[in-house]
Amino acid sequence: MNLKTLIIFMYGAALLGISVPVFGHHGAASYDPKLTTQKGTVTDFKFINPHSEIYFDVTDAAGNAQKWIAEAVSVASMSRDGWTKNTLKPGDRVTIIGNCAKNGSHTTRLSKIVLADGKSFTIERGEDYADQ
Amino acid sequence: MRKRLTGPAAGMAAPVFSLICILACSSGARAQTAPPQAAAKSQTAPTDLSGVWRRSRRPPDNAKRYTLGDVVNYLTHVEPTMTAWGEAKFKANKPNLGPRAVPLAESNDPVISCFPPSVPRLYTQRLGAPFEIMQIPGRVMMFFEFDHFVRAIYTDGRQHPKDLNPTWMGDSIGKWEGSTLIVDTVGFNDKSWLDSLGHPHSDALHLTERIRRTSHDAMTDDITIDDPKAYTKPWTAHIVFELKPDWNIAEYVCEDFLNFKDLQAISESKK
Repeated sequence: MNLKTLIIFMYGAALLGISVPVFGHHGAASYDPKLTTQKGTVTDFKFINPHSEIYFDVTDAAGNAQKWIAEAVSVASMSRDGWTKNTLKPGDRVTIIGNCAKNGSHTTRLSKIVLADGKSFTIERGEDYADQ
Repeated sequence: MRKRLTGPAAGMAAPVFSLICILACSSGARAQTAPPQAAAKSQTAPTDLSGVWRRSRRPPDNAKRYTLGDVVNYLTHVEPTMTAWGEAKFKANKPNLGPRAVPLAESNDPVISCFPPSVPRLYTQRLGAPFEIMQIPGRVMMFFEFDHFVRAIYTDGRQHPKDLNPTWMGDSIGKWEGSTLIVDTVGFNDKSWLDSLGHPHSDALHLTERIRRTSHDAMTDDITIDDPKAYTKPWTAHIVFELKPDWNIAEYVCEDFLNFKDLQAISESKK
């Protein structure tokens, strides 16, 4: 499948309401500047470049699992803050604080994550104030 | 071809091994070897700049509240005056970052396609990712975490070769003036951007850097952009680096971003 077909397919899937992984990269413009806090359960953790990804389920009011993806930063940046590929595992209960994508695609740019044992990590992002 | 050291061992490689590789694969701009007597002229470095450095996160002033991106993505916050040629190029450059950012699918930033950021942009890549300075006789080497680009600054007294073929990284020679390293780079092609915001440069760019270690943990670089084709007069960016003594240069392979290019386009799409 070539690039154009892939984009059309995934755009079509998004319109149908199928959850597709979407990631902002350099630009925070596609994301709500207000932070949202969500509690969820990790289903997958990819410790990769350019952005690590945390896949998590959030239970909605109807009791259904909504699939979400939190986008973090590079492996080097996170490693230097103490992350390893084993920091998160499927089943881990986490609190995700991030900026959600404006187009409703169930993606959030991670700002901070709190683990079940209370340990937290803050993600260093270009859009955050330097004096924070 | 850019010269790369890949794999997790690269960060831990014994300096000797790394340097042998770097020297063997040294910048393609320099086809000839230095004349034999140049080795004898190698200046003993009056200052040790070696270590892992990255751009300081400290805001440049109190003029406004700066984001981290404002601090490390920009070379200067005073917009330099461009020539007509420079303005046209600036408009044509469509970045995916900063106030003129366009969606990824519309960006023509060469770094998105994994072309070399070159210097000085490499100092700003990936939110000011680190680089390591290694000093060896006749050279100051810079080893960048971003895509493992290598820059050789020749301090053995040689001049720039005549009829230099333009390259992405240019040809760098350095000399010590007291404890300041003056780096002179020419021979750039015009394909790279000066920074991630899309400021242009031409193949006439003459880059001068004055690099000085101001304390154990801090180093400044006064970068002068002298490019009469693009800018009406030379201008200088003052950037500060901080030492990261506990860091090794990690791996960041640019092509990994290409896996996400399609997906980012989706997040930027309008429903």
